[in-house]
Amino acid sequence: MIRIRSPQNLVAGLALIAIAVFAIWLVGDLSQGSLRVIGPAMMPRWVAVIIGVAGLIFVAAGLMADGAPLERWHLRGPFFICVGMILFAMTIRTLGFLVAGPLTMMLVGYGTSEVRKLELIIFSAAMTAFCLVLFVYILDQPIPVLRIPGTSIRF
Amino acid sequence: MFDLFANLGLGLAVAVSLQNLALCFVGCLLGTLVGVLPGIGPIATIAILLPITFGLEPVSALIMLAGIYYGAQYGGSTTAILLSIPGETSAVVTTLDGHQMARQGRAGVALGIAAIGSFFAGTVSTLIIAALGEPLTRLALVFGPAEYFSLMVMGLIFAVVLARGSIFKAITMILAGILLSTIGPDLTTGQLRMTFGIPWMADGIEIAILGMGMFGIAEVFRNLESRIQGDVFHGRIGRLLPGREELAQSTMPILRGTAVGAALGILPGNGAVLGSFASYTIEKKLAADPSRFGRGAIEGVAGPESANNAGAQTSFIPLLTLGIPPNAVMAIMVGAMTLHGIVPGPTVLTRTPELFWGLVASMWIGNLMLLVINLPLVGLWVKFLQVPYRLMFVGIVIFCCIGVYSINREPGDIIVLTALAVLGYALSKFGFEAAPLTLGFVLGRMMEENLRQALIISHGRFTTFVERPLSAFLLTVAVVLLVIAFLPTIKRSREKAFVEGDE
Repeated sequence: MIRIRSPQNLVAGLALIAIAVFAIWLVGDLSQGSLRVIGPAMMPRWVAVIIGVAGLIFVAAGLMADGAPLERWHLRGPFFICVGMILFAMTIRTLGFLVAGPLTMMLVGYGTSEVRKLELIIFSAAMTAFCLVLFVYILDQPIPVLRIPGTSIRF
Repeated sequence: MFDLFANLGLGLAVAVSLQNLALCFVGCLLGTLVGVLPGIGPIATIAILLPITFGLEPVSALIMLAGIYYGAQYGGSTTAILLSIPGETSAVVTTLDGHQMARQGRAGVALGIAAIGSFFAGTVSTLIIAALGEPLTRLALVFGPAEYFSLMVMGLIFAVVLARGSIFKAITMILAGILLSTIGPDLTTGQLRMTFGIPWMADGIEIAILGMGMFGIAEVFRNLESRIQGDVFHGRIGRLLPGREELAQSTMPILRGTAVGAALGILPGNGAVLGSFASYTIEKKLAADPSRFGRGAIEGVAGPESANNAGAQTSFIPLLTLGIPPNAVMAIMVGAMTLHGIVPGPTVLTRTPELFWGLVASMWIGNLMLLVINLPLVGLWVKFLQVPYRLMFVGIVIFCCIGVYSINREPGDIIVLTALAVLGYALSKFGFEAAPLTLGFVLGRMMEENLRQALIISHGRFTTFVERPLSAFLLTVAVVLLVIAFLPTIKRSREKAFVEGDE
């Protein structure tokens, strides 16, 4: 009868094995060359193999030795922040920072249950202005400020 | 000896222009500002502030980065003392006595002695860098690819052994870092590896993005789990300058801390962290009344803080002379320098001496600025800490987004940032650390390159690594170190060395 004695190690090991298999599959079409002339796949493939072996050891440890339980994941923060950042990536080029900035911040702000709407609106507006002044005007970074699709408005 | 001062003179001449001084000052200021944010250590600070240095001349950018680096270090100590939140591992021991001093109303003195000790340590280690710079560079120039490869293997083993936590987990993380580093074009054939055919993955992952994701955003994820806001500092800062008696009590700890920290800082791995732990242990052992420690003993702040700063500075030595970053913070510095077109390594000194000595001089200036300008402004930092975290993290995220976008003007990089942040969060959930991964990531590329070259030279014979005496020596050191680390007695004392901070 197999008993899981350390879920944390077991899951970590399984994840490592999955990563290793995935990486080995990804470099599957590439040549590994010879020791004399190493090909592009040599390093990733063999490192992945060792990671896979390490994963097996973690799995074994998870079954044989007592250890830590799985930790709880808090999803609210990561969820809103990730969605916010992906939105930023999607809008910065097409709509510009004047849209992308506040939009992202309004979303990201909801990553905590302590969010206060009015405060967040004011903060987002102030941060947008601050970032524009700092990055665009003082540091002269090439960040699109405002673009309206379908029109020729591009700042 | 004369050379040393002539070189430092050259460096000062480069660094002391009105513009560079201003940049160093702004760097220090911003570094402290971001560094005091709870959970934001030097790695995230440098990564977040990196975009601000874009558009500057390489020398000026480096000087500003040095300022940011020292500011960030000091910012970590500030939160350690005031809020008992260490910004980074090397400030963990500072929380023990530093925070106790703060609770007794001596926060100012604790901050003051930390700055004074750091300045002294910084001055001494600047001289050490200046003295060791040229000889080590000469050594580096006789290194072939085989020696470089072995040196990096040794460095990684050091890093593993000196890191806290499980050795096996650290090794796994280094391997994961190496695997991540192979994403992107192959160095010789240019074939793309593991890029999923996505155009913005074609250049691989930028180290600054890795730093921001794993140390910046992932830390925000962790912080949002619990309410940090309960920790606002309510006490009084009090006077900043230590009195005569306090200075007398601190003198020897500062000297010892500097020596220990500088020596350990050169070592690859978490030398700087080990320095502050070692210094604390030494001071406690030497003290007439060890029971004072943990209850606000000024020696417990002066020693570790000096050791911390000395190590932070001497860890530049392997980076600048050999081109090998000894720890994760230096790995980020590699990324920062590369973005400015500077490849860290022996050629910096031989080809652009003004850059090398300018940087060395600006390190000292950065330390001086911390003492004379930052310390009096400490009240301001405390005010800044009162911004509620529910808003602060929004600012951190948007700064990272803008920063990542401005590196390559590539929105896809922000997607990479998101993925790395999730990965960093997942790692912490399984008890893995991101620091060895970062180091493996930076060294991975260099290792692959040197491995290939070494094998081309030796016509594919692996024995080249043990036939070349210097390479064999380095590998032997690595093996011996690893064996020693696994010996039961050493293993126990290694675990004990880090316990001090966990109590």
